[in-house]
Amino acid sequence: MLVSGIGQAAKLPHYVDVNVFDGLHGRALPAAAGIKMSNPSLTVVVTSGDGDIYGEGGNHFIHNIRRNVDIALFVHDNQVYGLTKGQPSPTSDTGWTGSLNRSGVISGPFPPLAVAVSLGCGFVARGYAADVDFTAELMLEAIRFKGFALVDILQPCVTFNKKNTYQWYGRMVYKIPPEHDARDRMKAFALALEWEERIPIGVLYRVERPAFEELHPAIGGPPLHARETSTETVREMLRKRTLQPG
Amino acid sequence: MGTDLNIRITGGAGQGVHTVGSIVSRMAVLWGYHFHATQDYMSRIRGGRNSYSVRIGSDPVRAGREEADLLLCLDPAHIEYFLSRLSKGGLALADVPSASEPVLSVPLKQMAVSAGSPILANMAGAGIIGCALGIPLEALAPLLASDFKGDFLEKNRKAFALGEEWARERMGDRLRLPRAPFSPRVVMSGNEALAIGALAGGCKFAAGYPMTPGTGVLSVLADNGPASGLVFEQAEDEIAALNMAIGASYAGARSMVATSGGGFALMVEALSLAGMLETPVVLSVGMRPGPATGMPTRTEQGELDFILSAGHGEFPRLVLSPGSPEEAFDLAQRAMDLAEEFQVPAILLTDQYLADTIVDMDPASFEIRPARRHVVRGAEIHRGANGRYLRYAATADGVSPMAVPGEPGICVVAGSDEHTEDGHLTENHGVRILMVEKRRRKGESLALRRLPPLLSGSPNGDAVLIGFGSTKDVIGETVRLLAADGIAAAAVHLRQVWPFPAKEMAEIASRYEVAITVENNITGQLARLIRRESGVEVSGTISRYDGLPFTPGALAPEARKRIWEARSTRTSRTRGAQAAETSGS
Repeated sequence: MLVSGIGQAAKLPHYVDVNVFDGLHGRALPAAAGIKMSNPSLTVVVTSGDGDIYGEGGNHFIHNIRRNVDIALFVHDNQVYGLTKGQPSPTSDTGWTGSLNRSGVISGPFPPLAVAVSLGCGFVARGYAADVDFTAELMLEAIRFKGFALVDILQPCVTFNKKNTYQWYGRMVYKIPPEHDARDRMKAFALALEWEERIPIGVLYRVERPAFEELHPAIGGPPLHARETSTETVREMLRKRTLQPG
Repeated sequence: MGTDLNIRITGGAGQGVHTVGSIVSRMAVLWGYHFHATQDYMSRIRGGRNSYSVRIGSDPVRAGREEADLLLCLDPAHIEYFLSRLSKGGLALADVPSASEPVLSVPLKQMAVSAGSPILANMAGAGIIGCALGIPLEALAPLLASDFKGDFLEKNRKAFALGEEWARERMGDRLRLPRAPFSPRVVMSGNEALAIGALAGGCKFAAGYPMTPGTGVLSVLADNGPASGLVFEQAEDEIAALNMAIGASYAGARSMVATSGGGFALMVEALSLAGMLETPVVLSVGMRPGPATGMPTRTEQGELDFILSAGHGEFPRLVLSPGSPEEAFDLAQRAMDLAEEFQVPAILLTDQYLADTIVDMDPASFEIRPARRHVVRGAEIHRGANGRYLRYAATADGVSPMAVPGEPGICVVAGSDEHTEDGHLTENHGVRILMVEKRRRKGESLALRRLPPLLSGSPNGDAVLIGFGSTKDVIGETVRLLAADGIAAAAVHLRQVWPFPAKEMAEIASRYEVAITVENNITGQLARLIRRESGVEVSGTISRYDGLPFTPGALAPEARKRIWEARSTRTSRTRGAQAAETSGS
């Protein structure tokens, strides 16, 4: 089951033969959370861009990490708004110039992995579109991970981003060495902050904890669409509010 | 004083105004009376000036009254404010020195302390009210036992007894009403009835963000979720709440959200999404005075225009406006059913007045209808020439058979872009026309199932007073008061405002000389809607916009005046026309 918002990356589900919910800009995560709570047997993957997830949907990004619904989130992070033709995104580097910001971006970039680690997101990884097999492995691991899993995927925009190009990323990225202890939150946080000189790719943090669906008192058992409505339960609620003699 | 008694309990938040109001209401029912309770509270946790008005009658009571016959002031500082709202011959009880009526000096604090705690002043007050009504302590023993436990139960009993004892010598029996033998009654608020109705309608998912007066609906759903198989989640904001509910509904669960105008404003984009994805969802919107934060805990009907036009683009919707807790229960089930049958957003439009109003009701008035699901499975699933499931099949009635993801052999594709019949985005203008027209046909099919307005009072005659939502029973009682004055009047209650029952409205209006809308807003939104949809030009609107609900006592004289004015204008116009005709011939 693929869930997306709006943007170039969010059109992806239309090219795959799966169940699709292609909703509003920024609102893929709450829709995906609702789908998963409604039917936990569905494998729910959210695929959208950096503007959609970190900008318009920033609040949902924060709170669904806290919620820890079993969803894999793939963010196609190209540091630019492509569909609207070249405006800066929340992850654009300071000073980057684009449409609507000709004198350069003043705001600092949103650090998705640092935010995710600080919120205790159970699976935090970064992929790179030029390394397809490596990134595919990360995505598979994220889907198999029980709980909220984030893979931020560096993905050069060849049309609108002339700074963060394949050449630039090629110089910057390096694979996280196997000796990195992905259970160590402080080390993961340190890796998440690396950006100016080198950019680590791979799994930064990985600690499983019970997912939202396992803890919620009303989830479990049949999916919601298969649940009967008990008139007896409703009658009991009315009875509890009925004043009887004696 | 007539055949009913209006008791008002006032105090600051935290003084137990609500507790004693609730006890007085229920003990009246146990004693064979009926009641209508409204709350007027400030947006704060402690202090302020809150009141709980319980109008008690020998017959069922369905509206409030401005003047209190008996006032219990738990905070003496409020006495002056509320004295101006005391009926002729009414009494006020307060812990203040007083030599004469209407104020009776009551040692509430002293009684509370001797019962064991200063907080028990409210229960000593309840004892006085009980004695005045002739209700003995024994009659409310089951209530006290259900509300309080252990040591605190004993202290409450003692405080009540002290109040009763104080009143025995001083109150006499002038507040007694004739009473009928007790029969079982359901006691609940509009919000509770709406939430339980939604559960009866098969609601299995709810999300929301707390906002007065919508929170009361959410708390019933949250508390009863696990027992009813409903999943409730408190969302990070209203935007998330409705998007979650739409996601849950896409996966097959009957879903709802509950909020107020400001929260609904944040849901507007997702409302349009539900329109485009054709995902069933129910929104309960309790209006309060705006704009912006307005008066958070008070009432208004200022969002009719907004609800009807909210959401970008054109798509069908259902808007129901219950007028009582029984109707909220019934229409919540209907909203759940029709939202799914027609795959539309359905809005239950209420307000703070209905949300917080508590009455006693006949248990037989709550009909639970079995929910009929409209989800297709297996062989019923519609497939296109390419073998794919057509989620948006362009059917004759505009309703495309809905399957849920997980169904073997198909993919369910729902897209917020304009889409082909199988759900994928398209920019083809021909398909755009196909889909726009399909959604319109669906709206027309939905309109065939509209609920006609409810008419009570004279079937034709002088005047008809028209309202929607919470004004139902206030207007009903007003019309009875006008009838007693010899005015042949009727009340029209619109329990469905969209699709608008235009023909029915025009037909009803044609039977009366004067038509007036009664609305808790200043601009007369209902009057405009009636004009636009049924071509009926009402004579005017009686507006109330101070944040408080209408009462029959205040509405009847205003209606009398307005009917008289409208009729005399019409008469002089008719005379003028006749004169013109005569001179012309």
